[in-house]
Amino acid sequence: MNGVPSLQLTHFQAFLLFSVVISIAFGFLGRRRPKDRVKYILWSLLLFLVVGIGIAWAMFPFSR
Amino acid sequence: MDEPINNEGVSAPAPQVAEAEGEQSSSRVTTRAYIFGVAGWLLPGLGHALQFMWGRALVVFLAVGILTGAGAAMKGNVFTRDGNDAFDKLGYVADLGTGVFYVAARALEPGGADVSHAGGDYGTRLLATAGVLNLLAALHAYEAARGRKA
Repeated sequence: MNGVPSLQLTHFQAFLLFSVVISIAFGFLGRRRPKDRVKYILWSLLLFLVVGIGIAWAMFPFSR
Repeated sequence: MDEPINNEGVSAPAPQVAEAEGEQSSSRVTTRAYIFGVAGWLLPGLGHALQFMWGRALVVFLAVGILTGAGAAMKGNVFTRDGNDAFDKLGYVADLGTGVFYVAARALEPGGADVSHAGGDYGTRLLATAGVLNLLAALHAYEAARGRKA
């Protein structure tokens, strides 16, 4: 097997991929009704993004 | 000892018999739950598929597959049991959580990992995330089989 083609993602793209996939999985595992699932997925995704970007923003001054 | 008689004149099972049957049934449910949990670990989504939870099974399979595929494509580190330190061993446990996808990830990275760039490091995290997510899903399948989760 020659392996998979190389994938180059920026930090934000990798973070977005992680957030979307995990939010959908959590939504399906944690809720039963479709409406509840959609609400849970959106809320979870929003929290992932806000908290992730917030932590990145807070750490930015120490990166230099 | 006299067996209790119900209204229709048919003898009802003695309390000891009913208790033994209940224990047997409970033990059967537990065994089935273990089987679903282990199946879900070995093949992501199988634990839910065996309980006819098709949506959850598909989502778990795709989520673990996408994260593992992306992690391997980003040349993330797929840990082996010959880890040098505790973090490597912990990473091995997390990676092993992906079940058959662990073998696939090893096969997809014939050139080995490349964590000299940030992308490889992100890939390592995605692989570990896939494993932990699948362990969580397997635990969910076990709990659902025991009737504790909907």
